[in-house]
Amino acid sequence: MDRAGVRGHPLGVLRVLGAALLALAGAGAASAAGPAPAALEVREIARGVFVHQGRPLPLDAPGHQDIANIGFIVGARCVAVIDTGGSVSVGRLLHAAVRAHTSLPVCYVIDTHVHVDHVLGNFAFAADAPQFAGHERLGAALARSREFFLATYAADLEPPAAAAQIVAPQLTVPTGTDVEVDLGGRRLRLHAWPPAHTDCDLTVLDEATHTLWTGDLVFVGRTPALDGSLRGWLAALDALGRTAGVHHVVPGHGAPGDDLAGAIAPEREYLASLLTQVRAQIAAGHTEQEALRQMQFPRRDRWLLWDEVHPRNVSRAYRELEWE
Amino acid sequence: MATGSSAPARLAAALLAVLAGSAAADGQSPANGAWQNMRSHLYGTRDISESGDELMSIEAPGSTPDPSATPVTVHFGGALAGQVKRVRLIIDNNPSPLAATIELKPGLPLEALDLRVRIDRFTSVRAIAETTDGRLEMRSTWVNASGGCSAPPGAAQGGTLGEVRFRPSADEHSLLVSIRHPNNSGFQIDPKSGDPIPPHFIARVRLLAAGTVLMDAETGISLSENPTLRILSRERLPSPLTLEATDIPSQQLFTAVWTAPASAGTR
Repeated sequence: MDRAGVRGHPLGVLRVLGAALLALAGAGAASAAGPAPAALEVREIARGVFVHQGRPLPLDAPGHQDIANIGFIVGARCVAVIDTGGSVSVGRLLHAAVRAHTSLPVCYVIDTHVHVDHVLGNFAFAADAPQFAGHERLGAALARSREFFLATYAADLEPPAAAAQIVAPQLTVPTGTDVEVDLGGRRLRLHAWPPAHTDCDLTVLDEATHTLWTGDLVFVGRTPALDGSLRGWLAALDALGRTAGVHHVVPGHGAPGDDLAGAIAPEREYLASLLTQVRAQIAAGHTEQEALRQMQFPRRDRWLLWDEVHPRNVSRAYRELEWE
Repeated sequence: MATGSSAPARLAAALLAVLAGSAAADGQSPANGAWQNMRSHLYGTRDISESGDELMSIEAPGSTPDPSATPVTVHFGGALAGQVKRVRLIIDNNPSPLAATIELKPGLPLEALDLRVRIDRFTSVRAIAETTDGRLEMRSTWVNASGGCSAPPGAAQGGTLGEVRFRPSADEHSLLVSIRHPNNSGFQIDPKSGDPIPPHFIARVRLLAAGTVLMDAETGISLSENPTLRILSRERLPSPLTLEATDIPSQQLFTAVWTAPASAGTR
């Protein structure tokens, strides 16, 4: 989230007000602060690949800590956790889910990118002393976001919230390259992308089951949020779509599936249309607000949270493309 | 993905902030000290009219997608276009509220003016137009945002300092000007070193046609990174137009010339 976080607040006053009243009325008890189940619900989508599907909630709703897809992969020697959720308590529930399925140690915690809903649970695994792994730019992105996380998401850390709970990667993957990690008879291939959804996107391919974890390079059903580079994201999707022999896809948000091309297509269509239309609006000398009003997206109904996310995407795209 | 917040305690605090904010949203409320001070300093006890959207209006996204680059448009209706000699843009709750003072050539039939600004916290954004016959018109709007002045440099940073892009509308009534400049506010922190980034911003922007100044704007730290300016006129814009921008503290002067493509050399 980094910069997007600082700019944050895509919420209208009324929505903040409504959410606050709900929370005051006790609806917040359902969130991580309230009575918690012992372990996060996970589904084994392929042998040894466990996924918890995040909830399709607005960003300001109670339960926002649990909106991303997170999970783990179990090898013969140890376990790799992939993304840890939007709070330390969600991370702890994920930890409990790991323990419900295996007693093997957690040797890797892999972060697909810097956004809070994916990384704030990292601290729940610190005591296992795994290798935290991520894109080579993840550390800088976390550093940039640290103050914002502490100011805005302190309640999602453990009291007292402290910078030490925002865990940076030790194993880093250089941009455009692969790094393999071995879980014991099971190798994961980590790939670091040039700026796309964020500037630190990482994908994970489990060679044993041909499962591709895309992180937020792929949103299914939820409006994709641009925080890196629109042109880079489209290029990344094209390259990702050429990944051969993928049997299972775990997107960053939305239902896991078995059709990589089908998972990518709607997002690609939206982003490509955003690129074409914002470019044309700039060329015609239109402002960002005129662009937002005039552009047409006939398929917008299929996207969750459009009104919250799309205007920000237009703003980001506009500023990227005005200097082409 | 991510943004937003919740958890009961934080939302309760947000609720209080919202309630406090709506009180301050009233431009006449005593809570709004910045504007009251500026009003007496800039305009004394002169009457300021605030009614009539047809005459003048101001537009900004109430929930800005980006507090560090929030688009603001001031529209002038037919009765006001050509009558305005000076426009001030004030962002009440910014550390430097007077975002821009824009002098216009008398008679320039300006219908709209667009700028992109930093918004530091929930605030009224107001434009005050002064007419050639000394009347004052003010319109304001409310923007929910925070952190725009201290946001770290964006992904679109870099490029050639002072590079300028001109984008006219097809009818050449409007011209969008984009300037490559970090416009550092002095409230930003270098995310790598943790050190403060010193202020470095465009302090003056002028547009000239045939040696005449069409527009002379004093600007400052409330302009966004890579600032943009757009003017929309009732008539075709004169061509060629020269843009001059000067920054602080380096006092570098950046100039660029726009020549209307359709009529190059014919005016």
